[in-house]
Amino acid sequence: MTPRLAAYEAIAGSPAVTQLRRLGEKLAGFRIVHVNSTREGGGVAEILEWMVPLMVDIGLDASWEVVHGNPRFFEITKKLHNALQGRAVDVPKKEWRLYQDVNEENADRLRPLLAEADAVIIHDPQPAYLLKLCPDRKGKWIWRAHIDISRPFRPVWKVLRTIVAGYDASIFSMAEFAMPLPHPQFLVPPSIDPLSEKNRELELSEQDGVRAEFGIDPERPLLVQVSRFDRFKDPIGVIRAYQLVRKVAPVQLVLAGGGATDDPEGKEVLDDVMEAAEGDPDIHVLLLPSNAHKTINALQRIADIVIQKSTREGFGLTVTEGLWKGKPVIGGDVGGIRIQVTNHHTGFLVNTYEGAAHRIRYLLQHPKRAMEMGNAAREFVRENFLLTRHLRDYLALMLTIRSGKGERVIHV
Amino acid sequence: MKPFEVMDCALLMRMSGLPPAMNLRELRDRIAVCDEDVLYHHFCETTLRPTFDDPDYRNDFAVWSKLYLGDRVLAERLGILDPYSFGGMEELRAVVLEIIDDRFGELTMVPWVRSGDEFLFRKSTTVVFDTGERIGDPKGLHRAILRMTNGSVYYHFLEALRRPPAGKDDFSAWLLDGGEEYAAYLRILGSIDYQFHSLAHLREDLARALRRSESGE
Repeated sequence: MTPRLAAYEAIAGSPAVTQLRRLGEKLAGFRIVHVNSTREGGGVAEILEWMVPLMVDIGLDASWEVVHGNPRFFEITKKLHNALQGRAVDVPKKEWRLYQDVNEENADRLRPLLAEADAVIIHDPQPAYLLKLCPDRKGKWIWRAHIDISRPFRPVWKVLRTIVAGYDASIFSMAEFAMPLPHPQFLVPPSIDPLSEKNRELELSEQDGVRAEFGIDPERPLLVQVSRFDRFKDPIGVIRAYQLVRKVAPVQLVLAGGGATDDPEGKEVLDDVMEAAEGDPDIHVLLLPSNAHKTINALQRIADIVIQKSTREGFGLTVTEGLWKGKPVIGGDVGGIRIQVTNHHTGFLVNTYEGAAHRIRYLLQHPKRAMEMGNAAREFVRENFLLTRHLRDYLALMLTIRSGKGERVIHV
Repeated sequence: MKPFEVMDCALLMRMSGLPPAMNLRELRDRIAVCDEDVLYHHFCETTLRPTFDDPDYRNDFAVWSKLYLGDRVLAERLGILDPYSFGGMEELRAVVLEIIDDRFGELTMVPWVRSGDEFLFRKSTTVVFDTGERIGDPKGLHRAILRMTNGSVYYHFLEALRRPPAGKDDFSAWLLDGGEEYAAYLRILGSIDYQFHSLAHLREDLARALRRSESGE
């Protein structure tokens, strides 16, 4: 076993890793190519950084390619990304042409590799047009949508649909994110990497360092919400909930996020948050750089309760991170938070700031229950949302498409 | 006795292709026409999915009725259904439709859900593979079960109920070959109410019960 697999085995458990190795044996030498648009930064690159080496570790011939493009191409694909998530954007014909041209340039470079692969996974819309440019492909092509496309901006979706409909299958993170397409649509929830800087175990001294850095009192309970400053994350609602709790308990609040400075809407939300927090030294609004993974990790670990009071949410990986750190999570009753937070078991789902305040008070009054819920939360993530389960789903998918059968049970 | 062949499985979920249900009428109509595999997924495969293991009810229709339709009466009637006690999915479908139709007779309006809370119909592919492990002696069964993955427990104890011999888990089917000597094991396996167990708990319970019967407690 490789050191990497051994390290994951120590966390996810021997049966989980043994299962991966056995599935890997069935796919020994299977050539799979992932294609996305960036090697660094963003959730997709973070996934491929661990997934591709692990696929190789268990015997697949896996590789990762990145499409190259000029800044204009990425401006256009950013518009496509926003349109898929429902924002009304204008994509004129010349921009679609440029999108195709850049894909053609990349196809010239990648065609031999892609045409020979047993499976090609194309991540998100940026490289999706490659399919039309590789007519002599040998393997199965799968489009992996990492975002919620259930309510897209229709004019853009109508064009993109003609592109992605040609794939052999697609993958969505949740049923709620999918759109009808004329091929099998598989569901693979995301996961977290327990060895990453954001999720690895931290020494107490490292946690204390972060506590001291931000002037957090170790003697009083701490509530933490980690998310960008966005209306849908409802940071103002979190402050209101805190203020209600503060009438009866000496709590502190951390709202930690980043990426607001170049986003006019984010800046506006941040200004509102600063105004709402003004004059209260126990509300810590932290604008963190995008690489502050260890700080985020420590904040989640020193929290008594993790909050994610979103009014609209994708899967909600910050919830997964909080649960993995053994914290009960109070989350908005939306999106993927519903899959992860079960009332009285891993935390509480709430619809209002009053509801959040009520549940915070409950957990502060019942620390033993909070600890039990935190323990259940960690085991729940260990079983369901670590990268080992994510990889297992991909391996099952490869075996399914290779079999070419549509039956409920496939023996491999 | 032939050695017991330990298999494992992984579940791969997919959309069923059915439109979502916004209200109880649509739920009923979709259940009436869906593939058996859709029914099987929402009734039987919930333990193997990445969702919380200990919901109020084991099947998705009961959970949805309670949480989103707000109909606790219907949730209770659907929640008690044991999918493995029926001759097949068609028999189960008929009973589910009857329960919903009876409920319509008691309601003055069709309950509905807000946008975002629709019932989304899914199904799955179960990829089954041989682990290469074999159990030669039933006395080692409890130790072997403790080493099994959730997938193995699901495949041998739950999924097996739908395979021939129908209604029999793989462990019991194997022990039957051993004759009277293993009657105590069979009794104990038959006494476990799998409806209220997550797979992890089921593994622990199976192993504990078999160990107890081995030591003659």
